[in-house]
Amino acid sequence: MKIKYAIVLVLVVILIGAGIGLKMFFKPHADISKSKAAFQVEATGLIGEFELDENAATTKYSEKILEISGKLVVKNKLSNGTDLLILEDEMQGISCQLDSNWAATNQETIEALETGSSVTVKGICKGYLMEIKVSPAVVLK
Amino acid sequence: MLKKLFILIFITASIGVFGQGKFIAKNAYISFFSSTPMEDILGESNEAVTILNAETGEIAFQALMTTFHFKRALMEEHFNENYMESTKFPKAKFTGKIEAYSKTMLSAPLADIKVTGTLSIHGVDKTITIPAKLGLENGKLAGTTKFKVVPEDYGIAIPSLVRDKIGKEMEVTVKANYLPFGQ
Repeated sequence: MKIKYAIVLVLVVILIGAGIGLKMFFKPHADISKSKAAFQVEATGLIGEFELDENAATTKYSEKILEISGKLVVKNKLSNGTDLLILEDEMQGISCQLDSNWAATNQETIEALETGSSVTVKGICKGYLMEIKVSPAVVLK
Repeated sequence: MLKKLFILIFITASIGVFGQGKFIAKNAYISFFSSTPMEDILGESNEAVTILNAETGEIAFQALMTTFHFKRALMEEHFNENYMESTKFPKAKFTGKIEAYSKTMLSAPLADIKVTGTLSIHGVDKTITIPAKLGLENGKLAGTTKFKVVPEDYGIAIPSLVRDKIGKEMEVTVKANYLPFGQ
């Protein structure tokens, strides 16, 4: 009897383990549109922080979800079809690559965006390489 | 503002020339690929930055490790946290020079070239020579390369449990469309 229980117990443990393993393996990417932003910032303020101290700002913001408001200066599509928005400065501003799933169902929102006007995006800050990289991102307004 | 200036000077200085013909690609493509029995591992980024000095044939290339995107969230996590240690070493860099460079390479159709320089990944520098292509593609200056990298050469430890399942070498692919810059 005892051996039977032991076998069942071991099997259950293996099943649970395998279940957790599989769930981790197939874990989807975070859905940005449903995630809460860790920081709400103005584009110019964020650029200022990275210019002042890149390392400190990277530690503070890298891999965090940011809600950023600023002036849209470039709206573009990359060769692979990704929508690209750049805030404040074409060369050294904030570069936001839009989430392809979100973009697919929100083309109207993207089309309605006008360069020169203000925009608010939410996305994961990836750090600083000549400009602040944010991806994937979604447009809030 | 000062920081911007410093960065500009740094980038300019790092490729060794001031105010002359330069080309930049701000959304260059870089990927690395490895095949495993379970599934292929492909990490891609569209956010690499590269500058080509038209006077000297020097090339600077940088990519942020965190911008690599994978099919599975877990792969991305392992890539950044276990293998590349992206918080400690956020950027991969290459600075090199085109062998037997001549300015005519920039106005000729895509042709084979060789680039020798220093590749810095995971805090380890190595001198490498890579085959590449440079020249006009659809009327625009483009650069591409495909080369192999051995993770262990750059102090990237892969646990023995999975080591045998991943190819010894990773294939790196780069594609950049250059635009004139800063003139």
